[in-house]
Amino acid sequence: MSFLAFFFILISLVTFVAAQLILKRAMEFSATHGLRNAYFMSRVTIGVVLMTVSFFLTLGLLQRFDLSYLYPFQGLSVIFITILAAVVLKERLSARLTIGALLITAGIVLVSMS
Amino acid sequence: MRCFDRALEKRMQNRPSGFGNPWLQLGVSVVFVFVSELLLKRGASAIAAPDEPFSWTGINGLASPLVWWAIVLIVGSFVSWLYVLRYIPLSLAYPLSRVVDILVPLGCWIFLGELISTLRWCGIALVVIGLALVAKPIAKMEERL
Repeated sequence: MSFLAFFFILISLVTFVAAQLILKRAMEFSATHGLRNAYFMSRVTIGVVLMTVSFFLTLGLLQRFDLSYLYPFQGLSVIFITILAAVVLKERLSARLTIGALLITAGIVLVSMS
Repeated sequence: MRCFDRALEKRMQNRPSGFGNPWLQLGVSVVFVFVSELLLKRGASAIAAPDEPFSWTGINGLASPLVWWAIVLIVGSFVSWLYVLRYIPLSLAYPLSRVVDILVPLGCWIFLGELISTLRWCGIALVVIGLALVAKPIAKMEERL
């Protein structure tokens, strides 16, 4: 894999993870403050923009690699999102959930290596 | 763990039932993502032009009707996902949504004719065990509700 391919996979991953955290925060906010407010709308817009960037980068990568090879790189997002949800969003992580997320990530990485 | 269970259980007691059930919507989101990934690969392969300078951006993929169908499904899955996020913690919902990482290789094998090696089957098995670990406390909680 070229450096350029690695770079685009990384950007696609970072934008996707950031979008999930921002969208979760927006939906939590909407549960108490409703949908019609500037904070909610701006966060959802940022989330959608980040997901759109990730989507088009993935589309560009799909033209070069098999889906079954490329797609599992997104699996790394499992462990990033689980940890960041605990750190940034203050969600509670049980040992069971952490081990489960690690196994899912390991499995996805294995799939991508094969 | 107990504290986490109680907090989630309290929130889930007020969850909508039927089609508005967040777990059902999580399933809907996963199925939409799965089908959209297969459509994207078919569409991107059909119009692949790796030598063009801007092809890394994927914009030229919009020339394929399959890519547009995939976009419709992605928008659908996104709406379901936002709904899921309103009820289920991200650290729980996201690992569960990765059941799609099993469905996609299996779909590639069945529908796109791509091969699954022994190592890949091992990876799929690990994902299944991880998903079972994450999902078991939820299944118990749902039984209590």
